[in-house]
Amino acid sequence: MAGEVRAGERRQRRGDEPERSFQWVVPKGRKASIYEDLTLDTQSSVHRFQKSGYYVSFADGRGTWDDASTGLDVVTWSAFRDPNELWERPYFQQGAQCEREIEGAVKSARSEGLLGDVDPAWVDFLRRDGQIQAFVEHGIWSIATRRSRAALADTLTHGIVLYAAVKQRQAQAFVIEGMDLDEDLGGGFSIEAAKARWLGEPAWQDTRRVVERLGTITDWGELILVCGLVIEPLLGGLVRRELLLRGGLRAADPITPAIVRNAQREGDWWHDFALAFARFCAEDPEHGEANRALIDGWLAAWTPETLRAVDALEPVFAGAPGVDFDRAREAVVTGQQALLAAAGLGEPVAAS
Amino acid sequence: MATTPTRRRSVTKTHERIAQLGWNRDYHQPVPIYDTRYVFPEKAKDPMKQVMREYLPMQLEKDERVYGGFDAALRAGMPTKADERWLQVMKPLVLILVYAEGAAGRCMSVVMDVVPNEELLNGYHVQFVDEVRHIGMQMNLARWYTKHTPDPAGWHRGQEYLPENLFTRAGINLFSHAFVGDPIAAGFTMMTVIETAFTNVAFVALPDVATRNGDFIQATTYSSVQSDEARHISNGYATMLTVLQKEENIPLIQHDLQQAWWITHAFVDPFVGTIMEYFSTDRSDTENYVTKWDRWIRDDWYRSYVEQLGTMGVDIPPDMFVRARERLVAGLHHKTAPLAFSTWPLQFWKFDPLTEKDFDWFEAQYPGWYDEYGATWEAYAALADPDEGAILLAGFMEGAPPFCWTCMLACVIDEDMCHRTCCDKEGVERTRFYCSPECRWLDETNPGRYTGDRNFFDKHHGKSLSEVILELGLLRADGKTLIGQPHLKKDRMWTIDHIRACDFQIHSPNIVQARELGLPDGNWHSDEDPFGTVQGDGNGFQPVTLYGGGAGQNGDGRVRVEDMARAAVGDTPWVKL
Repeated sequence: MAGEVRAGERRQRRGDEPERSFQWVVPKGRKASIYEDLTLDTQSSVHRFQKSGYYVSFADGRGTWDDASTGLDVVTWSAFRDPNELWERPYFQQGAQCEREIEGAVKSARSEGLLGDVDPAWVDFLRRDGQIQAFVEHGIWSIATRRSRAALADTLTHGIVLYAAVKQRQAQAFVIEGMDLDEDLGGGFSIEAAKARWLGEPAWQDTRRVVERLGTITDWGELILVCGLVIEPLLGGLVRRELLLRGGLRAADPITPAIVRNAQREGDWWHDFALAFARFCAEDPEHGEANRALIDGWLAAWTPETLRAVDALEPVFAGAPGVDFDRAREAVVTGQQALLAAAGLGEPVAAS
Repeated sequence: MATTPTRRRSVTKTHERIAQLGWNRDYHQPVPIYDTRYVFPEKAKDPMKQVMREYLPMQLEKDERVYGGFDAALRAGMPTKADERWLQVMKPLVLILVYAEGAAGRCMSVVMDVVPNEELLNGYHVQFVDEVRHIGMQMNLARWYTKHTPDPAGWHRGQEYLPENLFTRAGINLFSHAFVGDPIAAGFTMMTVIETAFTNVAFVALPDVATRNGDFIQATTYSSVQSDEARHISNGYATMLTVLQKEENIPLIQHDLQQAWWITHAFVDPFVGTIMEYFSTDRSDTENYVTKWDRWIRDDWYRSYVEQLGTMGVDIPPDMFVRARERLVAGLHHKTAPLAFSTWPLQFWKFDPLTEKDFDWFEAQYPGWYDEYGATWEAYAALADPDEGAILLAGFMEGAPPFCWTCMLACVIDEDMCHRTCCDKEGVERTRFYCSPECRWLDETNPGRYTGDRNFFDKHHGKSLSEVILELGLLRADGKTLIGQPHLKKDRMWTIDHIRACDFQIHSPNIVQARELGLPDGNWHSDEDPFGTVQGDGNGFQPVTLYGGGAGQNGDGRVRVEDMARAAVGDTPWVKL
């Protein structure tokens, strides 16, 4: 197919035993990585080896996979690579390590009596808003996992599924923290109260509106780019890093920063994934221009509403000691601009 | 170092909290991209209560054991000690199971798109993550075999061969049912039938055979896979209990479960039965495939699961389950195996002729086996040497049965074979053959589902065998020796020149049979279509839909529950063909 160079041709030139390696894998570098060997082409398509068409189709005429499942187009979807090459084994290693670190933080906080040192105003803030980010992560999870099936390459499906998985882990970590604090700090950390605030507190409603809107995305490419270039850098960065991490560190909170640091580390992987995907689409030799126009449209459609959600959270910051909303807002907006510049995309549309 | 033990959290209480994360949307309602005929009750129950803090370390521990096993297997010299006959057939088996794992994961995604019950979604998602794990482990197994076993040819281009191979394409056909079509029907296919009924055969019984043949790394890998299946089975049961709460779903369940059962049986039983019995050198197993089937599928699944659904109002007649067993007893896999072996030049793995020891085992297990099949196997062995200058396939093709339009395997049970005629887009009648009335029913009641250039031999009708081998890329690195061989010897290997010397031309049994029976053309391949497809009824032309596009009984494009009950017996007068 167009754009493909069979890996075997390169390897045979190097004199390797061609039957001792997966010849269908087109390595990104000189040699195929284990990630490439284990991930690529595990689901064939009419673009990859299924020359007789799809054997099973939807009654409405869609094939097993549908090129129209995204408005984006590239010469070769299977050429996409996760820059950090996350596959199942490192995923479980990293995920388990996150949970061990959080458990260790809880354990030492208890054994060393650290919870008594936490700024009481921060504890009040945690009672009010500490678990609400769990609903944001959970909301992203619920759409990411639904859109993963339609993606047009294994490397993309795997990436979206693992993104959903880290979102669910993060959501649950915030909820379990509430359980632990309920026990150690004398109650007031119920998930029901957090949910009521998520559903009713005006400051959170613009965030909820954006998260619910994500559920209307039917294009998996849009999902990757909106979450990666808009939602995570703006809303995720604001609440996780600027509010919970910085605020928690200043308040001597021994647990919340452990949760957020791990989430941010996972976020770095997704940042790289989304950035690579944006470049992959925007720099495609045949469809790059059309892709850039489409992506610019998505950025224009999502950034203002997301920035409104960011701005609406100012009262939440006001209720937390040691954090500065204006500085936080500037940091996330600057961060997003840098991300878009790195992706070679236009300026985001400013909030009105 | 802190010494205070961490207090253990209650899994139930943790899960109760986590279950609160869902909420009813006020600003925007989720937009699904798949459509279902099922309706859902308000409440459902998550049987798994899986929390990531417990799940991640548990899976990591299981991973460490599996990947450690690969190192141990290498140090123990397993690649050269394991039986070569067995190692060869791992090539199609592992790769088609990788496709199945991907299908299972994607099944979760389509189910989540339509199931509104928040309680169930976490379990589905954890299953998708499990499936990502299974893909990684099994591809690592494939990679390990490629790097270390004595004859890796075929592994090196396995994923390229898979969709166009005579047999593995039928596996792609089956497993695609798990993520194409109505998501709940897809979920039943994967969770209720493939996982609940058949993983015990694929991931418990097959690893037992692997171990008997010295391949303990296959057993290590698949036992770890199977340890996740209990949770997937729970997902299927929870889905079933949820949709059962709505009476209007019951006809759909009855219909979809029977169809899921049949398409799974139609592929898995002949495929796995052949691998288990015809690729094992060790003959110490006193259980045959039918005995295992009775234990795992008849007793543990049909009698303990499907029959019990009757107490909940699901009335599924036993006929299709009885029929499947009758087909096995009638020799479904024994009739498939010689055909598979005779097509060795078209395969990406090697075959080993049966020996006297094998004959004794088959005769002891299936009295009368030798009288029925012995001569064929002796002929196979006699023609294994290229100096004989003849291939068994030439003899087989003369009287070969047609291949089934629906399950894509050969119609080996004579009394079950049937056909129907359908029009192509020019309005010309053509014949579709089916291995059974049940497969015909599947095609008739799912217009638009079975697509593509489905008949392998139609595609290659009229070509020389050597031409097809070259077209499919089935030569080894030396550019002349075939990957597929009829024996395991390192010498006496067949080359493309040997095949050319046989001067054998492929004739599609579907085309030949239709002609001999005086039926309309049996050919469904067209060189004019980019994918070789003859577009016809329910295959890319006038795609009749049971929902969203068809006329529908009420003329609104949607089929109601009562419509589906009629569709289940093939009575669909409102469908516009």
